[in-house]
Amino acid sequence: MNRFFLFALSCVLAVGNALPGIAQEEPPRRIDVSALPATVVDDVVVPVPTEVFGVLDKLGSPNWHDVLRKIENPKRGERAQVALLLGTVIAEGFIAVEAQEPEEVKKIGRHVLNLAGAIGVRKSVISRTSSIIEAADKKDWARIRVEFDGASEDVKQAMIELKDEQLAQLVSLGGWLRGTEALTQVVSKNYSKDGAELLHQPTLLDFFQRRLDGMNPRLKRHSLVKKVREQLPEIRPLIEKPNSLSEESVEKIHAITSGLVKAIAQDS
Amino acid sequence: MKTIFCLTLALLCLLHPRAHATIDDALSFALEAAGPYVKEGFTVREDYWGGDLPVKQKKAIVHQLFKGNEYWFWMGTDLESARITVHIYDSEGNLAEAESWNNKPHMAAARIVPKATGSYYLIVEIQKSSQERTRWALAYGFR
Repeated sequence: MNRFFLFALSCVLAVGNALPGIAQEEPPRRIDVSALPATVVDDVVVPVPTEVFGVLDKLGSPNWHDVLRKIENPKRGERAQVALLLGTVIAEGFIAVEAQEPEEVKKIGRHVLNLAGAIGVRKSVISRTSSIIEAADKKDWARIRVEFDGASEDVKQAMIELKDEQLAQLVSLGGWLRGTEALTQVVSKNYSKDGAELLHQPTLLDFFQRRLDGMNPRLKRHSLVKKVREQLPEIRPLIEKPNSLSEESVEKIHAITSGLVKAIAQDS
Repeated sequence: MKTIFCLTLALLCLLHPRAHATIDDALSFALEAAGPYVKEGFTVREDYWGGDLPVKQKKAIVHQLFKGNEYWFWMGTDLESARITVHIYDSEGNLAEAESWNNKPHMAAARIVPKATGSYYLIVEIQKSSQERTRWALAYGFR
């Protein structure tokens, strides 16, 4: 019986291990995007600011100290404002990493913890924020980037578990607004076609617009949400064509995102 | 009789997918695939996509990529016998990946160095599976 068992087991394992020997099928060279051969996943993964900042670093040497905005006491209002603010503060964390300012990183880590507490998800970021502070002491920038990304994800997951998915979207939106404000500031200062092309983000703008349009009426009435919902469509035509993002368009996008980030910080 | 029962049970355990497998298991294989690339300087994102699919049905993910970065997309499934693929197309529908592989159990991956900043299509597929639906997860990293 033992021999039979070993034989059966080896057959099973042989089948399981046969996979590496199979040659890969060639994918089609072209697909019709107007009639995709697949259903589309509605969920969009919003890039972290570092994905854009890293490219800016490769294009030149931005002065991240000029871009970094020191946050003293974030003004906390209603939950929608706190969610948007939390997103902007996490994005500020990525800027502080670019500027390599460990004290500012630590301060931002503490703000993240407090803001998460204000919307009932403090527990979800405790370990992330202590890792951020620990890594800032060691100037381990790569780890801090991972922890800020993780903090953002953990907060959003905790909100989703609390059935606050729409607030979770506001965290992403806040982060995107501050990241785009920083990007436009850097590109405006030293305009280049390649730098401006980084603003060609139609997928993200459409995603945020869809999410804002689908929010519950109470959230839609919130003054900040209303303001963002009104102003995002003004950005859309400016980023439409990747190769024609003029200096003027970059400045316009900067004015819009800058105004929105300021409004979020002041809760107005 | 007892030996036959134990043997049947052992075989069933080997042939049948884990009863409590979840998307997290699929993700753990995607992250395992990412491991060697982290050593090469890729930053792996915490966020990911996931779900389950029947055999031969594809899913499309629209994702923003930035020219100047290099990306790897790692797909995982908890089912060892499944054969999965991920491929990347640009906004015009042209195959845009620099390379891809799917010759390891539980995993597949594709790499791209985008020629332009903008929207890209990630097409995932379960090519072969012993199950009606197969769980999958897709993570990505950049440098």
